[in-house]
Amino acid sequence: MRLIQFLVIFLTGIAILMIVKYTGGLSDYLIPPLHEILLVTGRDWTDFFMPAMNTTSVAVAGHVFALFLAAVVAFIARTGSRVAGLVRTAAYNLQAYPVVAIAPIVFIFLGDGLASRLLIAALICYFPLLLSFLGIFSDPVVDVEHFFRQIGKLNSTTELSIRIFENLDKIITVVTGSGTLAMVGTIVAEFLAASNGIGYVIRKSLYQNNLAAILASLFFIGLFSSVYLMTVEFIGRTIKTRLAD
Amino acid sequence: MAQELMIVSRDLCFSYPESDHALFSHINFSIDGQGFFSLFGFSGSGKSTLARLIGGLLKPDSGSILRSGLEHSLFSYNTERLPGWITVREHLEDVAPPGRSELLLEIVSELDIVSFMDHKFPRLSMGQKNRVNFARYLLQDFDLLIADEVLANVDEPSRTRILAFMKRRYPEKMFIYISHNAREVAVFSKQVLVIPQAGANGITGLISLSGMDLDDFGTADKTLVQNKMIEILQASSRAV
Repeated sequence: MRLIQFLVIFLTGIAILMIVKYTGGLSDYLIPPLHEILLVTGRDWTDFFMPAMNTTSVAVAGHVFALFLAAVVAFIARTGSRVAGLVRTAAYNLQAYPVVAIAPIVFIFLGDGLASRLLIAALICYFPLLLSFLGIFSDPVVDVEHFFRQIGKLNSTTELSIRIFENLDKIITVVTGSGTLAMVGTIVAEFLAASNGIGYVIRKSLYQNNLAAILASLFFIGLFSSVYLMTVEFIGRTIKTRLAD
Repeated sequence: MAQELMIVSRDLCFSYPESDHALFSHINFSIDGQGFFSLFGFSGSGKSTLARLIGGLLKPDSGSILRSGLEHSLFSYNTERLPGWITVREHLEDVAPPGRSELLLEIVSELDIVSFMDHKFPRLSMGQKNRVNFARYLLQDFDLLIADEVLANVDEPSRTRILAFMKRRYPEKMFIYISHNAREVAVFSKQVLVIPQAGANGITGLISLSGMDLDDFGTADKTLVQNKMIEILQASSRAV
């Protein structure tokens, strides 16, 4: 479904470009004709496919790292202790700051390699994940937890399992949504200063005014992004079905 | 020698923080001994709140509820749910204290949950959910079990059978049963605490009535049951 949605949106975008081009009588230099876009995409596909794959793998790694970190921090912060309160306050305050704005500092300290892209991807999807996990982990599911409290057997494992199971739909939505953010974070990082990935290819194409190459890049990254999000949703659905049936 | 089971309320006052008037004002009552006790009242009369106060889940604004000989008290209610990822069997086996496998079999049979032991909780009907939830409480160590409409969705014959089983199987325990059903409260209870209609100062007293304390509907004289039901219903309609 996601793949079809992406193809529909992408093809609609191309169609609008073509309508603008031919109704406005715009030059091939500004908006290349359709056959040129197809030619560039087909002939130089490895120039876009490999960077798109590179970007996706960095985004996936950043996403997984952010998921892990958010889960650990939310687990610690779910209690009513003073440290937990401090972590919660810090999380709420920090998430209000636009992470993209600190990306240049990351590049200054870590250079234009993998580490910077990974960190920015993780940071961009980390806060939405953390806030959602904090909410889910610290909100009691009274009707299920009551019995365990009554018999004195509500340990952290049981408590967390109950809260995760009862909020599985919400978690799947948040994880999928943050997957998109991880992709955005990686591409933004590549736009800014990286020397690798599809963002870097788009930046180069922009300097050359090569719209055909930009559109080919967008096609491949859209394709990879859709496949990744579909995979995340599939994993979520499988877990849910296994647990519920 | 075992300490006598007793609950004594003295000058109990309670109001919800969001409410500008008291729900209970200076309530006094006592329940003592083993057996089956009931709290009866119309919807919204404060039965569940009083049950939660007795169970220690809510704190009174003033006054006290003293419990004696009731080391292990449990409170169960009808919208409770089991974890949805495991089967009824797995859950009951997990939560049964050690050495209770025979009791587990007995409860499973008496509450008629054998046929859906391998189902997961979300797949059960409301009545089945009520029975499974109550079964896991009956497996525990307790001196007092407060059951707040725990069998509300169970059909009447099954409910009667379960109440009879409770009385027969746990004669040494104290049960406080909250129900809207005047007939079962009249027949099974040793004592019925009726919550009357609230006045301007909230509820200022409970009406304590003796119940018939029978083990089965079959042994009950119909006229006596009807008279007792009328007595309970009249008490709950009264303003105190």
